[in-house]
Amino acid sequence: MIVFSLTSARQSLGVSLKLMRPSLRLRIRGHFCPESHVREATRPYSSHTHNPKVPKAATWEPVLEDQLPPPAKIPADLVDKLERLALVDFRTKQGLVCLERAIRFADQLHVVDTDGVEPMDSVLEDRVLYLRDDAVVEGDCAEELLQLPKSTVEEYFVAPPGNIPLPKREERTAMLKHSEL
Amino acid sequence: MAASVAPGVLLHNINKQIWILYPKASFHRCAAVRRIGTSASRCKSQPQLKRKSSPQELVGVVGLEIHAQIHSNTKLFSGSQVGFLAPPNSLVSFLDASLPGTLPVLNRRCVEAAVMTGLALNCTINNKSLFDRKHYFYADLPAGYQITQQRQPIAVNGMLTYSHLGGKKRNQVVNKTVQIKQIQLEQDSGKSLHDDQRSQTLIDLNRAGVGLMELVMEPDMSCGEEAAAAVRELQLILQALGTCQGNMSEGQLRVDANVSVHMPGEPLGIRTEVKNINSARYLARAIDYEIQRQIGVLQRGGTVQNETRAFDSKSGQTIPMRDKEGLQDYRFMPEPNLPPLIVYKDNASLPTGVDACQAVVVERIREGLPELPSVTRDRLVQTYAILPEHSFTLVNEDGLVEYFEAVVRETKREPRNVIGWVTNELLSLLKQKDQSVSQSPVSPSALAELLELQETGHISSSVAKQVFQEMWRSSGKTALQVIQEQDLGLVSDTKEIHNICQRVVDSHPDLVRAIRNGNKKVLNKLMGLVQKETKGRADPVVVRALLEEKTS
Amino acid sequence: MLSLTIREVSLALREGRISATELCRRCLNRIRRTQHLNAYISVTEELALRQAQEADSRLLQGAPKGPLDGIPFAVKDNFCTESVRTTCASRMLKDYTPPFNATVVQKLLDQGAVLMGKTNMDEFAMGAGSTDGAFGPVRNPWSYAAPYRDRTGADPDSDWVITGGSSGGSAAAVASLTSYLALGSDTGGSTRNPGALCGVVALKPSYGLVSRHGLIPLVNSMDVPGIITRSASDAAIVLGVLQGRDVRDSTTVPSPSSLTELPEDFDIKNICVGIPKEYHAPGLSQETLAQWSRVADMFERAGARVEQVSLPHTQHSIVCYHVLCHAEVASNMARFDGLQYGHRSEVDSSTEAMYASTRHEGFNDVVRGRILSGNYFLLKQNYQHYFVKAQQVRRLIADDFRHVFESGVDVLLTPTTLADASRYSDFMQEDNRTRSAQEDIFTQPVNMAGLPAVSVPTSLSSRGLPIGLQLIGPALQDRKLLSVTQWIEQRVGFPTISDHGDDSEGRGDTEVTKREHSSSV
Repeated sequence: MIVFSLTSARQSLGVSLKLMRPSLRLRIRGHFCPESHVREATRPYSSHTHNPKVPKAATWEPVLEDQLPPPAKIPADLVDKLERLALVDFRTKQGLVCLERAIRFADQLHVVDTDGVEPMDSVLEDRVLYLRDDAVVEGDCAEELLQLPKSTVEEYFVAPPGNIPLPKREERTAMLKHSEL
Repeated sequence: MAASVAPGVLLHNINKQIWILYPKASFHRCAAVRRIGTSASRCKSQPQLKRKSSPQELVGVVGLEIHAQIHSNTKLFSGSQVGFLAPPNSLVSFLDASLPGTLPVLNRRCVEAAVMTGLALNCTINNKSLFDRKHYFYADLPAGYQITQQRQPIAVNGMLTYSHLGGKKRNQVVNKTVQIKQIQLEQDSGKSLHDDQRSQTLIDLNRAGVGLMELVMEPDMSCGEEAAAAVRELQLILQALGTCQGNMSEGQLRVDANVSVHMPGEPLGIRTEVKNINSARYLARAIDYEIQRQIGVLQRGGTVQNETRAFDSKSGQTIPMRDKEGLQDYRFMPEPNLPPLIVYKDNASLPTGVDACQAVVVERIREGLPELPSVTRDRLVQTYAILPEHSFTLVNEDGLVEYFEAVVRETKREPRNVIGWVTNELLSLLKQKDQSVSQSPVSPSALAELLELQETGHISSSVAKQVFQEMWRSSGKTALQVIQEQDLGLVSDTKEIHNICQRVVDSHPDLVRAIRNGNKKVLNKLMGLVQKETKGRADPVVVRALLEEKTS
Repeated sequence: MLSLTIREVSLALREGRISATELCRRCLNRIRRTQHLNAYISVTEELALRQAQEADSRLLQGAPKGPLDGIPFAVKDNFCTESVRTTCASRMLKDYTPPFNATVVQKLLDQGAVLMGKTNMDEFAMGAGSTDGAFGPVRNPWSYAAPYRDRTGADPDSDWVITGGSSGGSAAAVASLTSYLALGSDTGGSTRNPGALCGVVALKPSYGLVSRHGLIPLVNSMDVPGIITRSASDAAIVLGVLQGRDVRDSTTVPSPSSLTELPEDFDIKNICVGIPKEYHAPGLSQETLAQWSRVADMFERAGARVEQVSLPHTQHSIVCYHVLCHAEVASNMARFDGLQYGHRSEVDSSTEAMYASTRHEGFNDVVRGRILSGNYFLLKQNYQHYFVKAQQVRRLIADDFRHVFESGVDVLLTPTTLADASRYSDFMQEDNRTRSAQEDIFTQPVNMAGLPAVSVPTSLSSRGLPIGLQLIGPALQDRKLLSVTQWIEQRVGFPTISDHGDDSEGRGDTEVTKREHSSSV
């Protein structure tokens, strides 16, 4: 069985052919090799020795449930509060489950010992912040800006009347259902 | 049906803090509560002193949160212009409109302004400060968050020394201090304009992104007057520095008060926040009202709610605002687009590779600070030998120091003798018409000329006052013109005076006899008669001398 | 012609063997023929032809602006392009037309490059499959190539595989030969992941080296514009054009060197390659493991030093990323309220109601879910416990890298993904968050440390799909990283999908052939 190397000779300098993957059958400029590719593909890579620097098995330590703090509970008023703060709704029970899972996943952080470690805001904490000169270089583009939103009034952006609290949860669901695309 | 009003013509302009939705019924009862006097004298007492006398006396505790708009060409994080009265949304950059993908770039001038202000208020300037995002939704906050400095502001732990005129006659300068907790840089929001007719809110983002310095004053004050005096001093400092124009009615300086009451020596009481105060005058009233109100609540056995209240200038009362305390959580988060802000102590501590033009160096700024009001006051007292309360009045009025100094330059008169003219005559006329010094119809030169004429004996002092009034009314006329027109000049013809004196003496023998008998005070009556004859145009010194001679 | 590298086609343009207009037309044709891949959201045909014509007049005068003059390129749809719709694959921005160009887009245009269109992605870059966008999923071009069909017997129309994400459209565009380079964004691997699954070179530059002005952000402290090309030397050319301080982005740093060409005489013997043992994570496929070992061997046999090293906090990196990412997302998405731009709901009972329904209508479930969990982590009561904790873990991860690089290691060699591309039907069995956690596993630690990394394709799997390996370098040493990448590239013999000419018909025609390596340096 002919093993087609993928590389041209000049590129395989210094690399032993036996390390090349043996099972590739390719259409090379009009030549077609009709061997059964599927069979070839499943032959194990037996002639290859594994580089010892590369770990053969997964090196992760599993995180056990009992290492984690107790799962967070999300009471109804916290759900309501989150929806109001984020102005995004959970939509369905699935949404709440999603949040619980996200929190549980995040709980895994607590197996790491971070005693005395300074929190990192940004990788640029050692860089000097650039300061701009106090010269007018932008603005004066009201026309451009007012073209972007769906509605404007004269030269103003426009919003519905403010400071009216969001309706209660039950009514919100109805309101949002109505607006469902 | 009212004619339709163009949406651009607004019915009223509501600052975002005025959300008066559900005034509580109890508010009406507050007005009827018997006032417990908080007189000015009580205010002057230090709440920290142990008062052995009345253990029932609750005292006020006042802290302030002040937002000062930075006087700069461009905004804090964008290069759009800072301006007022411009067409709506014409001073708005892509960042100000929060277009996605735009990033903040810090304005050096704003940093310098904050450092200057911090130095003037004796703060420690943090050589490293950080920016954070404060999240909440509002129509005038396009990004859904404000960039501020919550964790580590640019300046901390300062002190403001302020004075106000106290004492019975309100002519004693009383010095007080208040601690400055911190100064932080943050963005201003846009403006929402309420259009009732069409049930909509119009948004103008011209102000969005303008740089603000938020100054927090610790609760070291005890009443409205102190707070107003502290704010006044701050205004003067900011104006002297040029970092903020300080006009409260234009929103360049906004003050919110944190007010609570307690028994001296005991822990602080629950505090309320009072907003929507648009002038220094209202500030004192609002605070005093709130102190009263809280005392009233406690006296009735109730508890003060930790809430936000708006000041209603019409009624002079504070009204509860919609309280979001339980619901609000600003979810502060470090602003990831701005690395830490570093300001350097002095030129020596600039690391290599840092552009000297780029860097903000505290020592350089300190050296460049202009004269602060307290220094000005002392200097005026030293230089001109005037009283502290006069100096206080001079500095307190915008432009008055310059006016005074200009007059002094142009007259040979002692500054001590000029000061009264400026702080009494000039100032009271200005106050009557609610005018500023720059609007005075009498220029410093004109006043100086008038004083010279009095000094050299052309007119008497009472006539001088008359002339001044006339100069004011007929703005533009010089003293000389008025004197000539109304023939108010002092009579210089000594022979004439001599004759008049003689006439008076001759016609009042009984008075002359009294004087000769030892009652010297009666001479004044004779003087009065002479002045009447001369219509006040005789030099009193000369008249007195003559009369004394004639009655000796 | 379409399968050439930038260097090769740029030479062809300058030598007059093809005109920019003709090149542009061919790419446009190819886009049409590969529409089934759904790689593009918007195709800027008129604009492209106009730009190509301008390039031609410069070329005719013998005055091209540089190596990119006349070269077709594609841009992920989260980069602002002036007057060209920029949607982030979201209903929220489906009609949004920015009034400015992102700095990186402007730089490419200033060099005379020709914009073919905006590519498809996961909505707001949240995802690792390019499957969760408002304009539908992107199909991996290799699904239609002979190896996949032949080796698995699959029917591409029903068994097509994903591109990976979230810059799937950009990777697909370059892999399917519709453009020579594409911009992606990389927050947790969003450029490298599809790069590996689509068999192209994908560079994530050092944080701060390339301006983010105009890139609609996912996580500001980790986002970087990514560069997708067909060779390492192409990536170097593009990086040379894009890198540098931008006054509009305060998180940019001056570039360390202005040289764009990779060195001709690169000696691998001077290089120490680190193999971090924690990068054998659960779920790593045997084939990917074999590639990892293969390339490690290649280095050793060529005389480079290869050592196993340890980045002890690696396994916690994904959780840390998850918290920080969600928190920043919650913040960055707060601006979408319909008031100044974007979708706006008809509900107008109050401002808050309008905001709530606009966001309900405009965002998909993935985005909304992340906003909610992000807000949860930022609540006052949770901030220390989750957000600050994650920031601390972030420092540990960044320190892990720093220690390893300080100990003499020049580059790290790791897998890019756990395996080759999954079938769409398999991929969609799990939810977005789970998938992202799996797919981003090897790539996101790099974003947290702000380091440069590149994915280079090394071979096809037994299913005929690309496998890529990742190289990670110390901060601001992007050039050295690319030199090592080129060294590998010249030796692994990875095939590329190539076009056999314009007369071949639509799908199923993509062929695989050996690489025309006239560009070996």
